[in-house]
Amino acid sequence: MLAYIGRRALLAVFTVWAISVLSFAIIQLPPGDYVTSYIAQMASMGSVVSDEEAQNLRIQYGLGQPIYVQYLKWMKLMVVGNFGMSMEWRRPVTEVIGDRLWLTIVVALASLLLTWVLALPIGIYSAVRQYSPGDYVATFIGFIGLAVPNFLLALVILYFGFVFFNANIGGLFTPDFQDAPWGLAKVWDLAKHLPVPALILGLAGTAQQIRIMRANLLDELRKPYVVTARSKGLSELRVILKYPVRVALNPFASTIGYTLPYIVSGSIIVSLVLGLPTVGPLLLKALIAQDMFLAGTIVLLLGVMTVIGTLISDILLVWVDPRIRLEET
Amino acid sequence: MSKCRRKVQIRTVRSRLTVVLVAAILCGAIAAGALAQSAGKSTLIGKLEGPEVVTDPARFPKSFSESPQLTALVKAGKLPPVAERIGQDPLVIKPLKEIGKYGGMWRAGFTGPADFWNGFRCCSGPDHLMFWDYTGDKVVPNLAKGLEMQDGGKTWLVHLRRGMKWSDGKPFTADDFVFWFEDIYRNKDLVPTPSATLAINGKQGVIEKVDTYTVRYKFPEPYFMLPDVLAGSTELAGQMWGYRAMGGFAPAHYLKQFLPKYVKAEELDKKVKDAKFDSWVRLFLNRNDWAVNPDLPVLSPWKTVTPINTPTWTLERNPYSVFVDTAGNQLPYIDKVVLTLAENLEVLNLRAIAGEYDYASRHVDLGKLPVFIENQQKGNYKVHLDPGDYCDLIIKFNLNYDADPEIGKWFNTADFRRALSLGIDRDQINETFWLGTGTPGSVVPVDSNKYNPGPQYRKLWATLDVKKANEMLDKLGLAKKDAEGYRLRADGKGRLRIEIMTLGGQFVQYTQISEMIREQWKKIGIDLKVQEVERSLALKRTAANEQQLGAWNNDGSEHLFTFPLHVFPFEVDAVASSGPLYAKWFQSGGTQGKEPEPRMKEMMEKWKKAFGVPEKERIALGKEVWKIAAEEVYIIGVVGQGPAAMGVRVVKNNMGNIPARMYNSPDGKTPGVSRPATFYWKN
Repeated sequence: MLAYIGRRALLAVFTVWAISVLSFAIIQLPPGDYVTSYIAQMASMGSVVSDEEAQNLRIQYGLGQPIYVQYLKWMKLMVVGNFGMSMEWRRPVTEVIGDRLWLTIVVALASLLLTWVLALPIGIYSAVRQYSPGDYVATFIGFIGLAVPNFLLALVILYFGFVFFNANIGGLFTPDFQDAPWGLAKVWDLAKHLPVPALILGLAGTAQQIRIMRANLLDELRKPYVVTARSKGLSELRVILKYPVRVALNPFASTIGYTLPYIVSGSIIVSLVLGLPTVGPLLLKALIAQDMFLAGTIVLLLGVMTVIGTLISDILLVWVDPRIRLEET
Repeated sequence: MSKCRRKVQIRTVRSRLTVVLVAAILCGAIAAGALAQSAGKSTLIGKLEGPEVVTDPARFPKSFSESPQLTALVKAGKLPPVAERIGQDPLVIKPLKEIGKYGGMWRAGFTGPADFWNGFRCCSGPDHLMFWDYTGDKVVPNLAKGLEMQDGGKTWLVHLRRGMKWSDGKPFTADDFVFWFEDIYRNKDLVPTPSATLAINGKQGVIEKVDTYTVRYKFPEPYFMLPDVLAGSTELAGQMWGYRAMGGFAPAHYLKQFLPKYVKAEELDKKVKDAKFDSWVRLFLNRNDWAVNPDLPVLSPWKTVTPINTPTWTLERNPYSVFVDTAGNQLPYIDKVVLTLAENLEVLNLRAIAGEYDYASRHVDLGKLPVFIENQQKGNYKVHLDPGDYCDLIIKFNLNYDADPEIGKWFNTADFRRALSLGIDRDQINETFWLGTGTPGSVVPVDSNKYNPGPQYRKLWATLDVKKANEMLDKLGLAKKDAEGYRLRADGKGRLRIEIMTLGGQFVQYTQISEMIREQWKKIGIDLKVQEVERSLALKRTAANEQQLGAWNNDGSEHLFTFPLHVFPFEVDAVASSGPLYAKWFQSGGTQGKEPEPRMKEMMEKWKKAFGVPEKERIALGKEVWKIAAEEVYIIGVVGQGPAAMGVRVVKNNMGNIPARMYNSPDGKTPGVSRPATFYWKN
């Protein structure tokens, strides 16, 4: 088991390095660089940047150097934990991301939790009471959740929230609390704002998980060991929860690999629409402004999260499902 | 391959965003129809009015008072008394309606660190030496007590206010001008290209100290435009330009610690490293940034407390503000300005609709006007429109386009340009995109502008006349058409197809309007291809001379001489250009680029000449420039004098001293021209 984890961890380090090369390359792909987008931004506000000034800026930001030199420079900074300076925000990248990272994590965890809390019981119910009215209702809502793009849902909820409930538009805090120091009142304010984004972000996932849970459980319920268990007179609850549900849980464990990067990027569009102060909108803006250290770091972070997520889900799977362990050794 | 894929990805994100936008617009449009009719132009556009700067010492207040917040600090011994802080020569402003009350907070939104104009416009004062009166026509003293012309316009004396102080209490004197000029402006690392604003006919001027409160600007040739240049949004106008090392003055006592000239190399290196910068230049520019550095001493009524690169940009009153009202109350009235980060424009607009902002005009979308009006009562606000004096949509012909010689040839044919202009149904565009609030016409500024050549030029080549346009195009040798009715090229290479480049996400919906023009030009047999590009790509394409037509607005051009960018080819790097090679020729004094055709050259020469002549002659020359612009149609004017660019204003009902209409322009730093320091909360 330890050797298995060790092997995976070693592989992960290489993957992360490859991702860092790739993410740096991706940032360089669009035409121009940060200075070009800066000039364009100045131009759209009516001011002008001369050729000499642009040249000077490129030298100051080190944009004139060959790409591999820029990459090595970035690597060197990263090794000491300095991810460079965000050109647009004029602050260290770690600070810019740090501001938003933990709020992003709170939102993502809330939506993940909501997904599981809703999906698990509903999925089990749907499978056990297949074709009952309750199953139909759950299925119907599930399909709507799958079919409606969540950003559209976000817009509709925002609009109705404003029209009927006079709710604050977007964001995670009431304006008064935005700058307030942390305290119980502010946490309560956050808690009040959290359910809507969590629900919107989690709805599509919930619908998907319900369907998967239902399908998997249905497969299991028809297996002979369930029949045996029933014939031995075990209570219905025990019959279902002891084995079939455990087996059907596999997909829940394996999706953690995708959930972790989701924690960082959130859903970019939904975060934009809801005005959430998370990392997602930051990434979009950084890409548009070609703020390469910031964008590069976020992309790298996404990569790292995917790698770690996959590792965790592998380990979880081994733990949840003994059969996987047998195949490995 | 990977490049292609990436583009596709960006496009998907973008098209999804478009869906978001469309959906948002639909939400509002349901209730919109009827309202758009009833909310006429007349009720929303009020009388132009604003506060005034008092220059007559007899009307100056005899004593001063201050915000209770500051009185407490004075009592605690943390601040000197108010009279000492203001000095002997206050900048007296007569509020628009009444003397206000102290206190309260002003909430608004901003879109991120690139949105620094937002705070400059509301809260910088403005801190120009000279500034415009509320009409935007007349230059009045501002931070400077006055300007004095000597030596036939070659020398200008700037008289500073005695006892005026920086926000940290240190005196503001002529030394701050000399410091800026000698140590910042003349430092090649900080300012690689000298500013054209500090030169006349390409020859640089100098700034000298006469005495503590007098500064001398000396130029080799007469520079009659200097007062306008100091008043306008130019590089010599205030600390907002500090992030680019300009501004005309800078707090010497604070900034010296970041200059190699005054600090030991290893000490400066350590500062640079501690702040995680790569070079002292980046550190210096960061420390000299009004929006980023809360420690920077400033002269504006409010100063940055939490910087623009955090989720809330907060500004608080400057205890040393030199601005006072006619009763001697130190301005501003409002304690604090809080700008909250809006992740996108839809959220910002929805928040404004919900009444979560106290005063907002920047980024407020004209297309949502009906929804804003519908929610006036609920949000406890009122909607005002501030039409600009300029054209909200212009189409530039790139006269230097040479990738396709045939198209280049037509662009250089005056009648071709005129015919295309006649083929545009401006009324339809005005009704659809401006909800009828704009004025269709040519590129010339509003009739009341002092450089306007006369009312007949508004309509010159700028009305819908499909018949005449077709006749003109036929006569030019473009009479042959293909089966779909589009004109064929003269060189026999198929259909004459023109491309217009647009940018999305701007104040004006360039792409959508261009699509409408595409439909309209079908009637004159012209095939227009609309291409929306990302702004960096746009810049790259204009620089490579690949742009054919470009859509933009000519805001600022009502101040023809401080803002000629969209009147003739003036800058090489522009998002839409009417001739990058001509601009190069103009900028290099005729040594590089391409010599323009005679009428264009005439226009450029007249514009240049105006800087060295007295105002009366300058006005005559300005009219000539606009006449040529309207006659030659180098740039098509479509709809103007509308509120599309920051002209939809949403203000809480209980905010006082708010003008019914204000001069709307980058030069006026609107609402700066209405002196937000005099706005106050009635209850």
